[in-house]
Amino acid sequence: MANKFGLPNLGVGLGLRTKHYSTILEQKPAVDWFEILSENYLRTQGRPLDFLEQIADGYPVVMHGVSLSIGSTDPLDRQYLSELRSLRDRVNARWVSDHLCWTGVAGKNTHDLLPMPYTEEALAHVVDRVRAVQDLLGAPLALENPSSYAQFANDSMPEWEFLARLAEHADCALLLDVNNVFVSSRNHGFDPLTYLSALPFERVVQCHVAGHTDHGTHIIDSHIGPVVDSVWQLLAVAHQRCQGVPVLLEWDAEIPSFEETHAEALRAREFIGAAA
Amino acid sequence: MNREATADAVGLHERASATPERTELGRKIAPLGGPRGVSLGNAPAWTEGELGLRAQQEWFAAIISTPEDHPAPIDERSASRLIAPSATLSSLERIDIYRGGYHARLIECLADDYPVLQHALGEDEFEALCRRYIAEHPSRAPSLNYFGQFMADFCRSQPHSQSGFLADLAKLEWAIVLSIHAPTAVTIGFEDLNQVPNERWPGARFQVNPSLKILHLAYPVNAYLQAFRQGSPGVVPAARHASVAVYRTGRSVWRLELEPAMVTLVESLASGATLEEGLAQVQAALSGETEQEMAKKISHCFQHSVSSGLFSAISL
Repeated sequence: MANKFGLPNLGVGLGLRTKHYSTILEQKPAVDWFEILSENYLRTQGRPLDFLEQIADGYPVVMHGVSLSIGSTDPLDRQYLSELRSLRDRVNARWVSDHLCWTGVAGKNTHDLLPMPYTEEALAHVVDRVRAVQDLLGAPLALENPSSYAQFANDSMPEWEFLARLAEHADCALLLDVNNVFVSSRNHGFDPLTYLSALPFERVVQCHVAGHTDHGTHIIDSHIGPVVDSVWQLLAVAHQRCQGVPVLLEWDAEIPSFEETHAEALRAREFIGAAA
Repeated sequence: MNREATADAVGLHERASATPERTELGRKIAPLGGPRGVSLGNAPAWTEGELGLRAQQEWFAAIISTPEDHPAPIDERSASRLIAPSATLSSLERIDIYRGGYHARLIECLADDYPVLQHALGEDEFEALCRRYIAEHPSRAPSLNYFGQFMADFCRSQPHSQSGFLADLAKLEWAIVLSIHAPTAVTIGFEDLNQVPNERWPGARFQVNPSLKILHLAYPVNAYLQAFRQGSPGVVPAARHASVAVYRTGRSVWRLELEPAMVTLVESLASGATLEEGLAQVQAALSGETEQEMAKKISHCFQHSVSSGLFSAISL
């Protein structure tokens, strides 16, 4: 357990997607772990939970959310946090993660991971909220670096500095998405290795990889297709610094068969050696 | 009274952190000469001074939720005070990636919930409907599971020559979604009925399957939906009243067209009536028929309701 939170190295996992439910339940393939999209299983009492409970009986699961809206200036949604906690306990999720972003304001949810201004004001705001969330969850929260397509004009620090200071001051965990580092580096013109070198790796409890779509003028974090070599190389660099951290593939558009998706995830082993 | 299963994956949304693809960047931006006086809900007054975090978020949200066929509410000069341009994209182009993603994700969600409505309208008209829906019913919940809940009423409010048909179709598709999210229940069968002592039958009360919704429709949209699922979508049908039960047993969602007597029986039992009271209501509804026909129909109604999985418990 290399991370400071003592969270386990679960190995190489896969984002759980409905398209693969039947294969997983019928064939029970050997998969190290699954990451679930938390909101898919909230505010439902029915079939999604039935599937999830059966899968959680056979595999370790981790919860990955998209609606925490940790950076929003709206009050924290305590009802949502209570539901997250209940779901975590119900399926014995090993930890809960979400993104460094905001998803809405004034009571509306855009369901998009919107970029944060990287300012002292925003940093103080998010630190307070992460602490509050961790108190409510009774456990460390893992925050993921998002892909972004826009930077606020009044940013006073780079994202990596914001993330590192946030993690330190709020004492939270990090989910390092190396595809997001790559996507943002191209969209904003920075060196991804500079980003990686600034992170407190002892706080990284998980890595993400995914495919993306290069439009020439910008890259979209589409989670489509196989992981490109540059992203695998970033994973190799990152993983050297945080050995023993689980890796997960996200594939969300034009999702291929379970076997093909899992095979792509397992390619991670070529880049992280025997550590996972 | 054919009972038909829906496709298995219906209603199971995938809400990932990925950004939906939208390739025609900037196609709908029409910058004007400065921040406009359009109604942006919660956007604050534009100021030439420093924008705080709250104002930044309100402005950003207001811009990305502006319908894509409307001009962006601020011009490039103003946008650059909020978002820095990159080496390849202007400030408005960068914001527009989020604007496109916001609408695309929600349209995708509605298409998941309403595939047959989408077919009935055609992709372009469905997308236009969704855009109007998104503007009128922005999401206020962490989950998108219930984002589409207002679609039937919304369809009915639209100035469309087939708005009644479209509303009924949406009502049916939404009932399918609701049945997926309703609690899973074990349903009773004839073996459970055999346990009931004869003298307890009149006072027996039946708990209906918690996922059950009985829809009263002005159009035969269930047949239309079934034809779509079987790959032979028909033309928009003429109005004809139909009652359809939508419910789930295990992982299967069922649609069952109900005869009037069965509607009476199930609705009566669902409201808490005893079996004796429920059957009396059916009897009253069938009063024009011979005793023999009536007994046959009542027996059929009851047995079919049980065998179809409409009840989850008996209390004596």
